Amino acid sequence: MDETRVPILVDIDIVAARQNGRALAAQLGFSQTDSTLIATAISELARNIILYAKQGEIIMKPLNHSERCGIVVVAHDDGPGILDVARAMQMGYSTSGSLGLGLPGVNRLMDEFAIDSRPGSGTTVTVKKWRR
Amino acid sequence: MSSMSEAERQLRLLYAQALQEHLAGGGEATLRRAYELGRKAVADGLGVLDLAAVYTGAAAASMRNADSDGNAVEKAEAMHGFLIESLSPFEITHRSFREANAALYRLNEILEEETKRIAHMLHDDATQLLAAVHIALADLASELPSDLGNRIQEIRGHLDQIEAQLRDLSHDLRPTLLDDLGLLPALEFLAEGITKRTGVAIVVEGSTDGRLPPSIETALYRIVQEGLVNATRHARAGRAMVQVTRGPRSIRCAVRDNGIGFDVQATQTDKNRHSLGLVAIRERVNALGGALQINSSAQRGTELLVTIPLED
Repeated sequence: MDETRVPILVDIDIVAARQNGRALAAQLGFSQTDSTLIATAISELARNIILYAKQGEIIMKPLNHSERCGIVVVAHDDGPGILDVARAMQMGYSTSGSLGLGLPGVNRLMDEFAIDSRPGSGTTVTVKKWRR
Repeated sequence: MSSMSEAERQLRLLYAQALQEHLAGGGEATLRRAYELGRKAVADGLGVLDLAAVYTGAAAASMRNADSDGNAVEKAEAMHGFLIESLSPFEITHRSFREANAALYRLNEILEEETKRIAHMLHDDATQLLAAVHIALADLASELPSDLGNRIQEIRGHLDQIEAQLRDLSHDLRPTLLDDLGLLPALEFLAEGITKRTGVAIVVEGSTDGRLPPSIETALYRIVQEGLVNATRHARAGRAMVQVTRGPRSIRCAVRDNGIGFDVQATQTDKNRHSLGLVAIRERVNALGGALQINSSAQRGTELLVTIPLED
């Protein structure tokens, strides 16, 4: 299974990204519950791209290690970047944040979370979930 | 139906529509709508049971106008997929609140440790240093002419006051007695101090039957402290009583006073300083899986009953 790239430009692209993510998760043997959580994470990542960067892409691919298997989702954009990553990850940073949605929510749904962002050079969020 | 908010009415409508379209083969697009509707429900402050009710209403409607030639199992699966999609935002908030709770609990323990450290430093280190200054000054005074010696005596008087203040501060923060001797001696000492300051007669009785886990000793001490402060400061009580009883699997603690009482119901929805104390008591009890009962009336004063379970 190769990686899938879904450009995120308009709202309807979020549906395509979710669909691809869900299909890949199902292929990899994730349960329906976990596939739903993966689709949820993709929704939040794609929503962030449209909201803050206007455009970007979501890349999904399988993770195959000797003893475990999982999925990696990368959300990348060339937007303005996040000035203060630590703050963006805190609860209460925004309305979404205070409810635990947004990036902090993605962090809670997935097993691994990494964010690389600098003002002027875009944002890349990489999340992984391992099959239980 | 008048209790339903406009937001909820709107949600019911959109949710039923989306479910209908999903069952007609909407696929990922309608699943995404389910997710967004759940997200909006969270943002509007709806509870998970509210959303379950919205789903039930929509599901019942879809059953009624079933032009059902489709497979019942497939339909049930599609409905399930739609439901969990709309519940997913609640899962996020659930996880984040659970995480925040655990973090607050840890933070509280760290603060209590820090308080303990400062209290002991004030009590032991600072007062020892003061004692050394006392001795040095006394030596100095004996070698000086009497008029200078008298001025040294004045300074020693100020030092005594500082020492008393440091001790009070240390005890208010956290009595060393609580760590050294346990709950009952600490409560007796607390009561004595309050009686001395306010004139309110306080009886402390009962037994813990040995030491309790530190987290429980600390919580009960703070709860009684808050209860007695309420009794003397707000309830204008003349007498108060603290009773500690050890059960086979629990520890019970009662704080009673003969003050003017308060409206328990109203105070709990009101966010003034007084009710903050009660909130703190409730949180401490909850954190230990215990139960709190407050009875209060103008005729019979106030009664705070706390039960904390003990592990075998």
